[in-house]
Amino acid sequence: MIKCVIWDLDNTLLDGVYLESGDRPPAVSTALGQVLRDLAGRGILHAIASRNPAEAGEYAEQATGHAFAAIECGWGAKSAAIEAIMAELGLTADAVAFVDDDALERAEVSFRLPGVLVLAPQELPEAAGWPLFGPPAVTDEARRRGELYLQRRARREEARAYGGSREDFLRYCRTRVTIAGAGAADLPRLHELSVRTHQFNSTGSEVREEEFARLLGSADHLVATVSLADRFGDDGLVGACVIATGPGGWQVRLLMMSCRALGRGVIDALLVWIRRAAHASGSDHVAVSCVINPRNVPLRIALAAAGFRARAADQGDGAPRTAVYRWPAGAALPDLPDWVTVLA
Amino acid sequence: MTADAADLTGDLRRLLADLTGDPAALGAPPDTPLLRDGLGLDSLGGMILLTEIKRRYGVDIADEDLNLDSLASIGTLAAYVSARTADPGRPR
Repeated sequence: MIKCVIWDLDNTLLDGVYLESGDRPPAVSTALGQVLRDLAGRGILHAIASRNPAEAGEYAEQATGHAFAAIECGWGAKSAAIEAIMAELGLTADAVAFVDDDALERAEVSFRLPGVLVLAPQELPEAAGWPLFGPPAVTDEARRRGELYLQRRARREEARAYGGSREDFLRYCRTRVTIAGAGAADLPRLHELSVRTHQFNSTGSEVREEEFARLLGSADHLVATVSLADRFGDDGLVGACVIATGPGGWQVRLLMMSCRALGRGVIDALLVWIRRAAHASGSDHVAVSCVINPRNVPLRIALAAAGFRARAADQGDGAPRTAVYRWPAGAALPDLPDWVTVLA
Repeated sequence: MTADAADLTGDLRRLLADLTGDPAALGAPPDTPLLRDGLGLDSLGGMILLTEIKRRYGVDIADEDLNLDSLASIGTLAAYVSARTADPGRPR
């Protein structure tokens, strides 16, 4: 699923070459400006990778009336600019489309970043109709996605300037993580997270709303949501987990989190809460089954950092490779950070 | 330490300094943890680190090391990569 379109400016988003246009910079391409607005309305982000001075990016923001989630103007390789944008926004290559009129630039990006969808400007209007670019936004979080990434930009700029520890910075931002039982109103967002999350997703497969509804009604399952806010803005529902709470211990069937919550203490808080809630219900056995794929490495790093230990799970032929992460017996029960609120 | 192992450790230190945006990695002791309170490498930084190690040395830590024990410290990471690049012909 494409989450971000990265635009070249000269003869792509702009009808002309910025530095060769004298006092009157080129206008925004009518057709592509329309595609940009349409995709933004579906919750897709926009960014700029252009061989131009920084003013060109500012001009493009002014001319389109769109606040871009990231802007890389400079003279290096386009693939390097795209990698910087992916790191800034927490995206993997297969969530990115790149549009450029220059065939050589497109070839360079295709070669260096084979996962990126590379398009010529004339191909974009049709490509925007492909399922890869997603359906119209259905949830509040999806509609506000562009705004949320702008808040993220502001937060990262402050984090760079801030000298203290990560915990201090989260407090300084007045981070609030809220863990609550899921309700029927959360179903569309839970489904959306199951489709859109990859780096922090323990199963890597879509879960339909009907299935979440069934789990909500099941006495043997717990569906919990995690919401996030700080003084930069309210991110809404950014993560969730599904836990089978049988007598043999707690089995975490699904753990997922939006990558925009990365680095903000959310997954750590959720893992501590699961441990403590299991303990409170009389079980110290907590197991998280997690598929092993190249995309969910961040989740596996978070599990390892939280003290969970893995072993390969038995599986049938053709089943995805899976490991079960367990909390070691006898390990101390961690405290919940003070910025986490638990609603019963 | 052989010259190659020293080079490898130096390369990994530079990579970590780039990823964390903090030159502390260049001079930290080998037992400094990479995650959390050590160098403060986060999940995304960790993923970029593993991707870069795979590209440079052909060692796919994410695929081979389920517990990611190799990310415990600068020293364990260097030892892990070094052991797997020393004999490229070894059976996997």
